[in-house]
Amino acid sequence: MAATVPQSPAAARARAVARRPLGKRLRTIGFHTGASALSLLWFLPIALILVISFRSTDDVLGNGLNALPHSFAPGNYSSAWSGGGMQQALINSAIVSIPAVALTLLLASMAAYALSRYRIPLRRTLILVMLGGNLLPPQILLVPVAKLSQVLGLYDSLPVLIAVEVGFGLGFYVFVLQGFMRTIPDEIQQAALLDGAGAFQIYWRIILPLTRPALAALCALSFTWVFNDLLWPITVLVTQSKMPVTPALLGLQGQYVSYWNVIAAGSVIAAIPTVAVFLRFQRHFIAGLNLGAVK
Amino acid sequence: MSTYNVSRRGLLAGARAIGAAAALSGCATATTAGGSTQQGGAVTLQSDLSSPLAEKAMQSLVAAYSKQSKYSVKLNTVAATTYQPLLPTYLTSANPPDIYTWYAGNDADHYASRGLLLDVSDTWKTMGNYQSALKTLSTDAAGKQIFVPTDYYWWGVFYRKSQFAKWGLSEPKTWSDFLNVCATIKAKGATPIGLGAGTGTAWVAAAWFDYLNIRLNGADFHRALLQGQQSFTDSKVVDVFNTWKQALPYFDPNGTAVSWQEASNQLIQGQCGMLLTGTFFADAVPSGSLDDLDFFKFPVIDPSVPDAEEAPTDGLFASSKTHNAAAVLDFMTWMATPAAQNLWTQTSSGTVIPANPQATAPSTALVQKGKAMLADAAQLTQFFNRDSTDALQNTANTALIDFIQNPGRLSSILTTWQSQAEQVWKTA
Amino acid sequence: MTVAPTEARPGTAALRAAVRPRRPRKGGPVRPSPLIIGFVLVPLLVEAVSVFWPAIQGFYISLTHWNGVNPPTFAGFDNYRRMFGDPVFHKALENTALWLVLFGGLSAAGGLGCAMFLQRERRGIAIYRAAMFLPVVFSLTATALMWQTLYQPNGMVNGLLSGIGLGGWQHAWLANSSTALYAQIVPALWREIGYVMVLYLAGLKGIDPALYEAAKVDGASAWQQFRHVTLPQLRSVNAVVVSVIIIDSLRSFDVVWSLTQGGPYNSSQLLSTYMYQTAFVNTDFGYGCALAVAIFVLAFGVIVSYLIRAFKESD
Repeated sequence: MAATVPQSPAAARARAVARRPLGKRLRTIGFHTGASALSLLWFLPIALILVISFRSTDDVLGNGLNALPHSFAPGNYSSAWSGGGMQQALINSAIVSIPAVALTLLLASMAAYALSRYRIPLRRTLILVMLGGNLLPPQILLVPVAKLSQVLGLYDSLPVLIAVEVGFGLGFYVFVLQGFMRTIPDEIQQAALLDGAGAFQIYWRIILPLTRPALAALCALSFTWVFNDLLWPITVLVTQSKMPVTPALLGLQGQYVSYWNVIAAGSVIAAIPTVAVFLRFQRHFIAGLNLGAVK
Repeated sequence: MSTYNVSRRGLLAGARAIGAAAALSGCATATTAGGSTQQGGAVTLQSDLSSPLAEKAMQSLVAAYSKQSKYSVKLNTVAATTYQPLLPTYLTSANPPDIYTWYAGNDADHYASRGLLLDVSDTWKTMGNYQSALKTLSTDAAGKQIFVPTDYYWWGVFYRKSQFAKWGLSEPKTWSDFLNVCATIKAKGATPIGLGAGTGTAWVAAAWFDYLNIRLNGADFHRALLQGQQSFTDSKVVDVFNTWKQALPYFDPNGTAVSWQEASNQLIQGQCGMLLTGTFFADAVPSGSLDDLDFFKFPVIDPSVPDAEEAPTDGLFASSKTHNAAAVLDFMTWMATPAAQNLWTQTSSGTVIPANPQATAPSTALVQKGKAMLADAAQLTQFFNRDSTDALQNTANTALIDFIQNPGRLSSILTTWQSQAEQVWKTA
Repeated sequence: MTVAPTEARPGTAALRAAVRPRRPRKGGPVRPSPLIIGFVLVPLLVEAVSVFWPAIQGFYISLTHWNGVNPPTFAGFDNYRRMFGDPVFHKALENTALWLVLFGGLSAAGGLGCAMFLQRERRGIAIYRAAMFLPVVFSLTATALMWQTLYQPNGMVNGLLSGIGLGGWQHAWLANSSTALYAQIVPALWREIGYVMVLYLAGLKGIDPALYEAAKVDGASAWQQFRHVTLPQLRSVNAVVVSVIIIDSLRSFDVVWSLTQGGPYNSSQLLSTYMYQTAFVNTDFGYGCALAVAIFVLAFGVIVSYLIRAFKESD
């Protein structure tokens, strides 16, 4: 029955809510209770870090890490920011992560496109070979890569770190993307070919947008991964002022004694960019294409 | 629509070309030589002193040096936890950092035997007033000096004066006195001995092993054992553990579960009575509490064995591939002067003893007491990992934590330890 | 973008091609151009230089004795022989297998469960998803600090246990050789589930809602919908997720290394931590690389056998 009186959206919504059957409302409440409980449980360790990050050094040294806070010291954050070098480290991490992620996904999607939509000989072997590169424990590669970068004269530079991060992540992302790209029906590609599109245009205008959920997911994941990486930076970089966040955080630890409150504050600072990236990209998981339109 | 078809052969040929191109790049195991030349008079100082206080001390030190010299030093601080595995990579790289902070002992000797360290005998010519023990420590097998000590510290059994007064105790001198003190503390409801050999700091257990070994069997046997010349299954070593078993009941039952920093915290809060630790402990003490702390030297077990103490020595060495040896030597010479040494000890936590005898050691009672204890000692050892290798320290951690938790399995623990130690010496 | 089938003209092959049934043919219908070859070769080259070449050197080092400073001496299969007789290696292998099953299984199930739970777009869903993903964005130093503190004898875990009346279950979690390994699976899961959830969310988004509608019309229950619509549609995503989990389990290094370094006395040693310790603490690079090769062979064997089956099924 159509309403004959125009309603404001809020009123309409309110009516819709009121009209919702009790069972559904209970389910909604149940969902939110459950989800909140789960989220809180997951958040607990992080809450611990937040609490520690606001305690003063004397409090932490005198009362131990497990005690309830006896102090409030937001100054830890400024100590970590300037004195602890977090400001420079965040910049370094950004300089490394953004190009690395962009390059990785570009190269990986290119390879995935070619390997999933075209009949290339040894296709499956190639995919497995590229994935195989990710099966190696990175530790085995540390010393050879360090030596290689020295020989090439690129040791202790951010570009070489970018190159290493790209190379090391490629195989896995190719594998993931080709998995998603294979599910795209042939008809779309054939229709585009009929319209006279070349291989590159099909890639750029059709396949890539269709893989958006996967690309968004991988963007968030790979950004986090590269931003927080530890092993590669300490292998190819030497100068402290070039270190990204995780080695910089490690640098806050002393030989024997560490000021955990400042380190906790530094960790929170280091986590903010990656959380922001995740929140930004998780909208794109939503924009899952309705492949039903093809019918 | 292209009909280009890549044949399988073509693809493989392409892959082979890629492989060949990659093969032209260097081999990982080669010690690379050459590289770009250094700029002017600047040398790099690679430092692992990453704790906030120590880093500030190094920065002011470097600033003071640059002010009075025509050379300049660039400080580069690396996280302490990642420094040690990277040292070989630094030293064997094409353009190594010039100067390094590290400690004396096996590591330095090892690098020196490979020709990776700069001969600093010229600097030692200006250090005639240093103790001969320090000079011996800094000399490699070929008779050249390769190390310049900056400071050393000591180990002792630390306690809180107010707590001991409350319990009516005084510093024990002999082992039986010590056990009596432990029993008294236990009766008062506190944990007599703290340990802190938990996550990441298992190495502190080695201090007990070191001291018991030194007190029972002497420093010479101890050093020989740590160099692989004696066996861990020797009856002398079994003695060490049997003596340790006498004190085990008084150890913190969670001793292997808490980190060293938490254990020091327990001492400060009064939950444990005594802690065998080095003076780096002072960095973990909240301001104002240091006055209540005192220490006594590890109790004597066998009066016929000459006293030795642990006195880990820190200092500098340099890469033999440096492009500016004159600058390096100038800096090292300056670091050895009383002025520089005073600066170093004043700006750091203040519980280390400067290596130069003419430097004014901090005048706190604690430091004077420590200095006197070391001066009285017949011999000075360094600490388990510095006298042997980090690999052997690793085997010690495994064995000692196992022993502390399962003292009944002593003989199998020692047999395993010996076989692991033999593997270490085979690969060293 | 489809051509309406009713406009078919006799003899127009292209139109007929467009009308062909939907089943994707093996390998796609088009022959590759040089551009496409370039699309494959460039990433391959990048990976070859930064991964394959160092890996080959790593394999070579496993055939030598090398301590990082002296030149390496060739040793043939000595390191591998040593591996077979090494009790710590056997313990590490056993622990790694245990880790693979427990950590792998639980993170797959947990990740899928969370993804299904949080897949519908509702109010506040972004907050819940972000909460699950937060552990992934915190750096390793923070994670180690958190869990070391939680697991201490006077820490929150023991406190919670005694609070709910399970005081007898208290342990020195990370210092007790029988609990150390299992205790470390918890922080690893805590980090991994958010990561796996993101992958499954992307996969679930790709499932055609019409399939669910059809199932509902046929009267299928929620569980039947899950078994007969969701799981089959997730098959290719599953291949990815399972590979991710296997890779992460076998490379699981960060958590164990930062919490216990494989202790106490090697009871929670994994192949990856043992390899790192051997190469970088004991500076025994030859043996360390041999261990790395062992990890690689294990990972490769497990994943390839799974993937070959998955590839076969999807054709």
